[in-house]
Amino acid sequence: MYNQIYFIAMPAPEELVIAQPPEPLATSKKRKRPKSAEKKGKKKKGLDGSKPAKRMTWTNKQRALVFAARGITFHARHLMNDLRILMPHSKTDSKLERKEGLYAINEICEMKNCNMSMFFEMRKKLDLFMWLSMVPNGPSARFLVQNVHTMDEMRLTGNHLKSSRPLVTFNKAFDEQPHLSLIKELLKQMFATPNMHPKSKPFYDHVLGFTYLDGRIWFRNFQITDQAEGSLVEVGPRFCLWLIKIFSGSFSGNVIYDNPNYKSPNQYRTELKIAASHRYKAKAEKNAKKAAVEIIPKEDELDEIFHTITKDELKQAG
Amino acid sequence: MIVLENPLLEDTVVEEEGSGDESVDDMEISGALKSGKVSEEGMKTMTHINNVPKLKERLEAIQKKLPWIENLDVTVDLKVPIEDMKAVINDNFKQEMLFYKQSQVGAQQSIARLISMGISTERPEDYFAEMVKSDVHMKRVKEKLISKQLTMERTEKVTKMRKMKRLGKKVQQEVLKKRADDKKGMIEKVKKIRKGKAEQADADDFEMNTEPETSSGKKGKDDINKKRKAKDSKYGFGGKKKMAKKNTQESAKDVTTFSSRIHSKPKRSAKNDKRMGGGKPSGKPSGKPQRPGKTKRANNKNRARNK
Repeated sequence: MYNQIYFIAMPAPEELVIAQPPEPLATSKKRKRPKSAEKKGKKKKGLDGSKPAKRMTWTNKQRALVFAARGITFHARHLMNDLRILMPHSKTDSKLERKEGLYAINEICEMKNCNMSMFFEMRKKLDLFMWLSMVPNGPSARFLVQNVHTMDEMRLTGNHLKSSRPLVTFNKAFDEQPHLSLIKELLKQMFATPNMHPKSKPFYDHVLGFTYLDGRIWFRNFQITDQAEGSLVEVGPRFCLWLIKIFSGSFSGNVIYDNPNYKSPNQYRTELKIAASHRYKAKAEKNAKKAAVEIIPKEDELDEIFHTITKDELKQAG
Repeated sequence: MIVLENPLLEDTVVEEEGSGDESVDDMEISGALKSGKVSEEGMKTMTHINNVPKLKERLEAIQKKLPWIENLDVTVDLKVPIEDMKAVINDNFKQEMLFYKQSQVGAQQSIARLISMGISTERPEDYFAEMVKSDVHMKRVKEKLISKQLTMERTEKVTKMRKMKRLGKKVQQEVLKKRADDKKGMIEKVKKIRKGKAEQADADDFEMNTEPETSSGKKGKDDINKKRKAKDSKYGFGGKKKMAKKNTQESAKDVTTFSSRIHSKPKRSAKNDKRMGGGKPSGKPSGKPQRPGKTKRANNKNRARNK
């Protein structure tokens, strides 16, 4: 079925995005800042190495704090590191202690001057949870992370420039429900590198795909090997997010959305155990039934031939 | 974990993982009550919160009116019919194809837009910068791919050989049979030709050259052994010749053995012969004195003995 190319008739670029149409580069000249306030390691490579004709400074100051709680396993840690590599606008911090509580994250973000946070926590060293939050007041969401494959896997063969800005794609399904459009906004702001970020590279060679399918959000990262043909190679990492709850505040606040399809991994495990025990119970009952039934042997006519008459029978006969 | 007596609320609030975040739990209860979505009847039904107005309000709060270039985001609508979507959910391969297609379409749209804005998207050949995966890692990946390919080729080869082996016996038998049949046929034809039924035999099949082939052998011009030749001339064609030493007309005429060189020299007669005493006398030819005759030698010998 995928032989029919689901290539939509391309609409005009302006129709695509809810946001405003692109501003021409010339207007940005107003926002020039003095050189001292600008970056340390800013690499502005103009086209063909020449001086860029128009300069646009880094205005969209988004910084994300990406870190984890204690008790995280190596697999999750690798995933976190991979995501940090993908997000050049991210900052990191040491592992959060349990007793501090989630609300302390807001304080850490304030100290680091971050306005977004991606926080990983692990339960029972089995289940990985991810928090996405806009730090001062914004909403936060908690997800269960499944099907994790890190960039180190041999099967993910692509490679792209480090810190190059990603092209972010979303499924149409994100626009159909209000909670999904909120999640989309969170993901978009988290993963999209701001324009002219000092660490970012000027070329576009990878694309992130967020797909809402089967109640879960799937994440893929592809390298664009051939721009003309649009051939992609997967770079990784890849994971799948299952929304649990959305809170109105950052690591605090009321629950404004609760996923009815979400089943916690503990619940899932207990269900499995019960099902297993059911199987055992059913089997035990069956065996008991079998044992309870009396086996009455069939009467054989030939028995009478070798029947010796005993004294008791004589007595009974009379 | 907070222990609740109201079973209705338990469903919405319980976190089996024992979250250490009590503040959130508190908020959750109040949230559940506030939203007014907790139903009083149906104790076993799960009550779920979906506070749409609040969601919209929060969305507006975080949404920033930025130009597209800041976020580079694209919404892709692959028009997949619902029945196909159900099939996709169960099939991993189809799922991956869906994700791939979405990213592909999205990337193409974004790149087209960037190019129209005049921004270069492709990395030039001489722009070297750090890549997300190290060269060492990529080398390992490459090796793995190559080894996979090799094993595949090997297995294919092996299966092919096995197949060929099974067929090979059959093929061999057929070939032998064919050869035998051909041989038979040829023999028949030869017999027919010998018997004189050339037309029936169809002699064209044979394609033989009637002229002998002149081949350059190793021996050269005269293939026959020289020794053989000599013996032949002496003993061949009838054996020893009785009249060998007798002259015939031809042998008398034959002057090939006469050498003019030898016979042109002057004759060696007694007159000319030096030993006989003829010819020109010469002095002592060599420095040695002429040897005395026998009697003189004997006398000298006796004299020496007697002295």
